Amino acid sequence: MGYSRVHASVREYDVFARKARVEPLRQVGSVVAPDDDLAMAYARATYDEERWVEMMIVPRDAVIRLWAPGESES
Amino acid sequence: MRYAEWCIAAPSLEADIAAAAMGLDDIGHSRVLYGSLRELGTPDGVDEGTYANVPYLDKPWTDWAQFVAANAVLDSAFTLMIEALANGNVEVLRSRLKKMLQEERYHYLHGRSWMREAKAASAFERVWRESLEWIGPENADVDQLHREGQLAYGVRELRRLLEERVGSSAPATDIDWAKWDRVRRRMEPGGIDQATLEMLQGLAEKRYMPTSG
Repeated sequence: MGYSRVHASVREYDVFARKARVEPLRQVGSVVAPDDDLAMAYARATYDEERWVEMMIVPRDAVIRLWAPGESES
Repeated sequence: MRYAEWCIAAPSLEADIAAAAMGLDDIGHSRVLYGSLRELGTPDGVDEGTYANVPYLDKPWTDWAQFVAANAVLDSAFTLMIEALANGNVEVLRSRLKKMLQEERYHYLHGRSWMREAKAASAFERVWRESLEWIGPENADVDQLHREGQLAYGVRELRRLLEERVGSSAPATDIDWAKWDRVRRRMEPGGIDQATLEMLQGLAEKRYMPTSG
């Protein structure tokens, strides 16, 4: 995505969370950071306003997309 | 307070937010700590100029590298002491300090990551020295509390754990313990700058309040 900001190289991470065990995880936002440590710190600082029972982050480049909106399932 | 000063001045928006969040965490932590002290029978008694802060917090930081050094080293030293109390034999502290440790984990992750990037050799040396001064000398109060069980770690263990957490050895420093102030846990005289002191004591807010009567 061409982020440069203050770090030489960064990754994008999607942030997932849920408020109760019975709920599915849902995407609540994303962060950009040079490594996992800072991505965790940023995700927690930015998205901790609700009482999540679980929060996790996934590097966006680890996600394998099968198809996107507007694309056919094939 | 020093963290909060960076909530619009850090190198990126995410770091701004993290600085604000960590500042809020630490204000919460100090409220819990003061509350615990009160419960354990220590009166408040905060007089002007007797804050037992490390000298590194006396003045606002002028460079992000100073923030990073405090975040990585000093904050970790404070956290290790909290950990020592949370695992000690004082029930009030055992039950109350656990949440602090969960929150402090993110301060540590933040500091550790930024430390890889920041060039802050002189700031690091200073925070290391002041962390060691704050932990104090061997065979003094901290070791005594460790022997009595209130603290889970003694001085040597605290120093070793701090090195482990920060991922670097403490720089060789000659600390002249004869000059050490055992109440404020620091070597240098002086204290927090006037403007910050007034905010801490609520005097700054009072200026904006309508005068009563």
